[in-house]
Amino acid sequence: MKKALSLLLALCLMVGLLAGCGSSQTQNSDAEAAVTKKTMVIGDTTFNPENAEPDVNPHNDYAGWACIRYGVGETLFKLNDEMALTPWLAKEWENVDELTWVITLQDGVKFSSGRDMDAAAVKQCLEHLLETHDRAPGDLMIDAIEADGQVLTIKTSVPRPALLNYLCDPYGCIIDVDAGFDGGIVAGTGPYIAVDCESGDHLNLVKNENYWNGTPHIDELTIRTISDGNTLAMALQAGEIDAAYGMAYESYPLFQNDQFQFSQIATSRAFFCWMNYESPLASDPAVRKAIAMGIDKEGFVATLLDGNGYPGNGAFPSGFAFGGDKVTTETYDPEGARKVLEDAGWVDTDGDGIREKDGKKLQIKWLTYPSRQELPLLAESAQATLKEIGIAVDINSTADHNSIITDMNAWDVYASANVNASIGDPEYFFTSFCLDSSSKNKGHYHSDAIEELEKQMATEFDPAKRAELALKMQQVILDDNAWVFCSFLKMSMISKANVTRYISHPTDFYQVTVDLDIN
Amino acid sequence: MSETTVRIQKICRDTVKTRLIIFGTLALLLVACSLFAEHLCPYDPYLQDLSNAKAAPSAEHIFGTDRYGRDMLSRVIVGSRTSIFSTLLLVAIITVIGTVIGVFCGWHGKWIDTVLMRISDMFLAFPGLVFALAVAGVLGGGLQNAIIALAAISWPKYARIARSQTLAQKETTYLKAAKLAGDSTAKIIFKHILPNIIGPILVTSMLDIGTMMMELAGLSFLGLGAKPPIAEWGSMMSDTRSLLTTVPWVTFAPGLAIFISVMVFNLLGDTIRDYADPKSRGR
Repeated sequence: MKKALSLLLALCLMVGLLAGCGSSQTQNSDAEAAVTKKTMVIGDTTFNPENAEPDVNPHNDYAGWACIRYGVGETLFKLNDEMALTPWLAKEWENVDELTWVITLQDGVKFSSGRDMDAAAVKQCLEHLLETHDRAPGDLMIDAIEADGQVLTIKTSVPRPALLNYLCDPYGCIIDVDAGFDGGIVAGTGPYIAVDCESGDHLNLVKNENYWNGTPHIDELTIRTISDGNTLAMALQAGEIDAAYGMAYESYPLFQNDQFQFSQIATSRAFFCWMNYESPLASDPAVRKAIAMGIDKEGFVATLLDGNGYPGNGAFPSGFAFGGDKVTTETYDPEGARKVLEDAGWVDTDGDGIREKDGKKLQIKWLTYPSRQELPLLAESAQATLKEIGIAVDINSTADHNSIITDMNAWDVYASANVNASIGDPEYFFTSFCLDSSSKNKGHYHSDAIEELEKQMATEFDPAKRAELALKMQQVILDDNAWVFCSFLKMSMISKANVTRYISHPTDFYQVTVDLDIN
Repeated sequence: MSETTVRIQKICRDTVKTRLIIFGTLALLLVACSLFAEHLCPYDPYLQDLSNAKAAPSAEHIFGTDRYGRDMLSRVIVGSRTSIFSTLLLVAIITVIGTVIGVFCGWHGKWIDTVLMRISDMFLAFPGLVFALAVAGVLGGGLQNAIIALAAISWPKYARIARSQTLAQKETTYLKAAKLAGDSTAKIIFKHILPNIIGPILVTSMLDIGTMMMELAGLSFLGLGAKPPIAEWGSMMSDTRSLLTTVPWVTFAPGLAIFISVMVFNLLGDTIRDYADPKSRGR
């Protein structure tokens, strides 16, 4: 019996040894394969449902940003470094009349599903977009689409001068609808193919061997969602990721050395406050004006953004024909704000430093979210400066802001980040945020003047006149203090020194391109 | 008993007394500091001065300033009120609730005892902080809710101690005599049982102050405690953790405050336990 047991044990040991050898051989071969394979990991704070980017399906909310950012999808037109329109999947275009656009598509482009990208596929994609997306139908105003080979004819229901700009919006990524949307993954035409997506966690991509516009260099690319800025900084320091998007400015000093590189550019990404017109407090013009006068934009940019931005004036930064100081708004003026509130009957009767009117305290609910690292800092900075003028601020910084904002009693002021000129044209901002029909008009703002001016802009083809209208419209919303534009950001992407062509773009959504490489 | 043994016992007793005086004084100092926090602050702890943000420790600002230019020393001092008082309030709540339930169960017995003890078993079966996180998550952020969350998970320990002590007291001769003498239940509980069981309960609560302070700071660190701009040590550490590598003093100051307070209250608890338990004095 003992002998049999010993034999059995010896046999087990031998099997174990052999299995061990086999395993090491497999590991060796894996290691060899890894040597030949180029892999890269990018950490991103915003690729998550909190930022309306749950996956890479461009027809789902703002997920198109992830689709285009990570090289999965491409649009018919794109914006160059000067934010000028250039063809991308389109080869050329013609504006036949005010309502008709003829677009000729590139030849030889294939979706990652293997299907040819022809006008029929694009038509199918755009029709699906119009059926499913919240903003696209109002932006594009498409009445009919005709497909003939590589020629796409789009007819709009009203003149749409900015149609091609709107087609640059990431929701306009051209995808193969027939390939489906399983797990939020789509078949695009970009240099990388999404193979696995877990919302709020990661996205795995492989290079598109059949890419039409060059050869991608990275074999396997992983996007890791790291919503916490500190974790992102540590991950980059520890070498767990090769590049990072959304790093807190406070962490920049950690990477200002030879091991890392920055790609920084001014963008139209604004940190701005929305006023809730259904709120008894924020619907008071004096309160809105006082809030606008009570936020120290200069101090916020200089200190809390460490100078990585510019104080906001209107909806667009300087550099655009329709931006910068061509409009006027309230400046930081605590004394003036106090007077505005006092004139409106808001006085501190009980001596606690917070004003009251008709027995109601001037205590505003400030909603924001933490995945844009500086928004909570803006909230706390405003909390202190507004307290100086007698306004108490309750901050709610939560990842759940998208659902809370639909409850009109849950907030008075909502601070968020948005790229206001992402399509290089001003109309996008107004149609998205300011009209009665705007899907993002969460504060239920209404202005007859804005509705009227938008009608003019919608049919105006002359860029100079469009800029003029944009300035007028901004002045209206600034006079109403319906939004307070606190700052515009310099966008930075940080990568290890061995990464090449990981470059920031003013749109904030061209990030992973065919040129991206790691050595 | 030899003379040497008596001398050793005296020295030990004196050592415990000395420790009690030292740690008691330190704890009182901390409580006094939190009581008079506003008068001790060199600057307004909530006043922002962005032009003086992230200033390094200096004679002007001993602990430096945070990213908003607020004086860290002032914030730590004012934070002591939030942190220490909240902790004392929390410990008081769980001591009272746990003792009431424990005495009631021990005295009454029967099915009520079984039901309440099984409920306490359920609470004890959950990992403490995880359960507190869930409760605070449901109730929402804020110091008040963090206290409720921690109270919800911490009372069973006191209920168990109070119950077992009450059961032991119930069997004593003097209590039987009191019953025979016709004393009312309230009189028996308040005059006879509570004074005899309060010792171990108070020792436990003293030992718990440090733990509760850490747990409260932990919840605040995770964003479920104090809300901005309230100065509370846990939330101060959380708010400034992104500056840990570049501006370390802003995290160091509240961290040091937590370390000192927890250590003082833990050592005081240990000393009170030693003082109350003559058997452990010689150890």
